[in-house]
Amino acid sequence: MMDHTRYRSAILADPRDQDAELRTHREGCPECRAYTEQLLRFDARVERALRVDMPAGAEVLPFARKSQTFVGPRRWLAIAASVLLGTAIVGGIWLTLPQRSLAAAVVAHMAGEPDAWQRTDIAVDAPALQDVLKDSNLRLKPAAGIVSYASSCAFRGHQVPHLVVQTPRGPVTVMVLVHEPLRKSMQFDEQGYRGTLVPVPGHGSLAVLMRDSGVSSAEIARIAAQVDDSIVWTH
Amino acid sequence: MNDQVAGKQRHARFQALCQSLRPDLLRFAFWLSRDRALAEDVVQESMLRAWKAQDSLLNEAAAKPWLLTIVRREYARTFERKRLNTVDVDELIAKEEPTLAAAEEHDIADVRAAIMKLPDEYREPLVLQVLMGYSTAEIARELELSGPAVLTRLCRARRQLRAACGEDTALDPQE
Repeated sequence: MMDHTRYRSAILADPRDQDAELRTHREGCPECRAYTEQLLRFDARVERALRVDMPAGAEVLPFARKSQTFVGPRRWLAIAASVLLGTAIVGGIWLTLPQRSLAAAVVAHMAGEPDAWQRTDIAVDAPALQDVLKDSNLRLKPAAGIVSYASSCAFRGHQVPHLVVQTPRGPVTVMVLVHEPLRKSMQFDEQGYRGTLVPVPGHGSLAVLMRDSGVSSAEIARIAAQVDDSIVWTH
Repeated sequence: MNDQVAGKQRHARFQALCQSLRPDLLRFAFWLSRDRALAEDVVQESMLRAWKAQDSLLNEAAAKPWLLTIVRREYARTFERKRLNTVDVDELIAKEEPTLAAAEEHDIADVRAAIMKLPDEYREPLVLQVLMGYSTAEIARELELSGPAVLTRLCRARRQLRAACGEDTALDPQE
């Protein structure tokens, strides 16, 4: 039988430890449960503190610069550039259309689960979360924060994880869309939801969105990058 | 010709991989060194070492821990090479104020200052656990420590941090 001191030592070292013995003690001891929640809140602050802004860097490896410059007739270059520009515009519109419909489907899905948006400090049970994530071959790092809602939802013909992560700016919904590959990110702002679709090479895409939050698109993009970074793909 | 194409593709893939992981590597190096300029030097040097050793990376999914290990070793080498002097933590905090104050949330400034003041042996496992998502076993492997030693250091790190940040530590277990 685990005592309070042993429990608190273990949980102080790792507030997200999901050991069965720790869980049993926590369920039977309101004081230790409150202590755990206090630690989880503090850890969320620590995680934010550690995440100092760092540049992505335009050129990571100095020798990666192109060593050759193509020099050709200017006229042909101008024609080629015009053709490329035209192709890019038409292609861009064409490629954006499916992403817009995906964004619309994500927003439409939100209407079916309004209870998921509650602001809370209570995380879903680890086994329940694992159950939702296992078919998508991923797990979340502790730095992901408190996952307050996890459900496997039917979405465009597939079961997909639908999560709500509590952040300092409020609840953020994440849908892991392994069957929806994207070529590039896309921001959307529809029906009171602001979010982004982010390609995840080899694993489809992520939809990350907030509701009535007043947060900027840049901040949504930053949150989406953090979510992406919190995912560990297991396959 | 095919070799050339394959080489270019490999180069581009590795470049993209390093690019995507660079912010986290910089953060890790920053919290090791507590010096942004030094962190950038360490990461750049680490990238070059990683490029030369990329054949030893058998699985791209393991790239992040592989690069973190390279950064950690490179920092240790830099430390030895430059024989860095003992530093005054308050001076470090003052010097790194732009980095520490860049956050939009002001309530974490005190946490950042407290993390800066943690001893290296407590700060490093905490960064690996909280920021990089390492398990206790993974931290133990990386730092060449036993599991219980890692847990002790993490306990002490949080206890010190919580006290420094004015948290209610009444229930924190004492050693």
